[in-house]
Amino acid sequence: MASSSDPDKLMSKADKLTKLSFTRWNADWKSATSLYEQAAIAYRFRKDNEKAKDAFEKASKGQEMISSPWDAAKHMESAAALAKELGYWNEVSDFYHRASELYRECGRPQPASDALAKGASALEEKSPEEAIKMYDEACSVLEEDGKEQMAFDLYRAAAALYIKMEKYSDAAAFFLRLGSAADKCNAINSQCKAYLSAIIIYLYAHDFQQAQKCYNDCSEVQAFLNSDQNRCATKLLSAYEEGDAEEIKRISQSSAFNHLDHMVIRLARKLPTGDLQAIKKADDGEESLDEDDLT
Amino acid sequence: MTVIDILTRVDAICQKYDKYDVDKLNGANVAGDDPFARLYASVDADINQCVEKAETAKQEKNRAAVVALNAEIRRTKAKLLEEDLPKLQRLAVKKVKGLTREEIATRSDLVAALPDRIQSIPDGSSTATKKNGIWGASGSRTGGAIKFDSTADGNFDDEYFKGTEESNQFRGEYEMRRMKQDEGLDVIGEGLETLKNMASDMNEELDRQVPLMDEMDDKVDRANADLKNTNVRLKETILQLRSSRNFCIDIILLCVILGIAAYLYNVLKK
Repeated sequence: MASSSDPDKLMSKADKLTKLSFTRWNADWKSATSLYEQAAIAYRFRKDNEKAKDAFEKASKGQEMISSPWDAAKHMESAAALAKELGYWNEVSDFYHRASELYRECGRPQPASDALAKGASALEEKSPEEAIKMYDEACSVLEEDGKEQMAFDLYRAAAALYIKMEKYSDAAAFFLRLGSAADKCNAINSQCKAYLSAIIIYLYAHDFQQAQKCYNDCSEVQAFLNSDQNRCATKLLSAYEEGDAEEIKRISQSSAFNHLDHMVIRLARKLPTGDLQAIKKADDGEESLDEDDLT
Repeated sequence: MTVIDILTRVDAICQKYDKYDVDKLNGANVAGDDPFARLYASVDADINQCVEKAETAKQEKNRAAVVALNAEIRRTKAKLLEEDLPKLQRLAVKKVKGLTREEIATRSDLVAALPDRIQSIPDGSSTATKKNGIWGASGSRTGGAIKFDSTADGNFDDEYFKGTEESNQFRGEYEMRRMKQDEGLDVIGEGLETLKNMASDMNEELDRQVPLMDEMDDKVDRANADLKNTNVRLKETILQLRSSRNFCIDIILLCVILGIAAYLYNVLKK
């Protein structure tokens, strides 16, 4: 039905089909949907983003009504992309959420998490909180489905966002989640890199105790114990214990660090931060306690 | 008569006639009470021995033998220079009974001339420079491996090895080349680590894609089966449609319609 290429006419026609009135008891969603789709494409071609977005919304609704959630989700995503261009950030978030729900209805968790990830990256600049939430949701969707391998990139992106927001413990937590996901998939290299990144983040945040604890936890994992990253971590922590800034700088330049994420490398280059002496004193205090304590 | 017997007899005869050995008596008399003269005589003998060894070394073809001879020469030289020479100098100054002042002066002169004589004994270090140059050029690896690897670096006994400039230079060169090799190996090590990282990333990516490929394989197989099924049914339908009976019926009906049309035409024309 390429009769009227005027999208406005198509829209009004489709609206008439869907509006319930005295003469019309059942809305004809099928034809209405196809009209809406055509109108939306025409608007997009004309770069009329506002109207195109509305048209896509309505088309998606129509698809829902004729129970094809897959197409509905696809239209929602297009609407969300247009909303991003227009700058309606809350609409962006809503649309992507809705799209992901529809994908989950179809039983396809991967496109669902993809939609959430797209939303999160769109919102990174404007509202990082919202973006973090979306990343979190995307990761949990994949975790539930057991497809963590696809989630590695999401974890890394979320952690990078946390680092930008300077929420270091959250970032480290995300890296540990990455580590456990990698463990399930037997991706040893990623796992070790994730653990090393977590330790570095803790050290950057002056939290030596946490770094130590983290290191001890990670050493339980056999795969980490035998890896290069473990050796690097040991050297780093012992350099910290001795309070040797030169050594720390030297270790940060070593090659094991060059394969980590960019944000983490930047943090590592800035080590050591804070007062090494304070860390050393705290550590010595603990050690003397241990020596006296014979239990 | 066995050799042993001959030897014992010769010894006995020599002992009997020793008192008639003029040279020995003279030598013993001359050196008898005078420690300086004795020491000087022994030093002289050593120097002559060294010179002889140097001569043999020059003729010698076997490198190892040459090296051994040179080492011995050096050892003797060092001993002479360090121990005997100072003693001689002290003894030369001492006044001895029965010696004139001129003789004492002569002795000092003799002692002064000794160091030069000792140093001038060729001990293979000067001739070795040419060889060292060649060895250095061909790469320190072979030189280093042959010369220095077995002995711990720098633990050279002074008696056995006197460091001349050439050998020190050689050592310095060796150290530099080793440092350069270490640097090169470091670079290679870093490159290898990058490769390892890339390879394990590729490994993980492929692992990620294996289940996707399996899924795709399944889906495509299903689609294939569906298509085949559909094709077969379509073929059947078409065959049915084209079956001759239907065809004949079509033709008959067509003729009937044409007949009716012709009849109507005739009726209307009239």
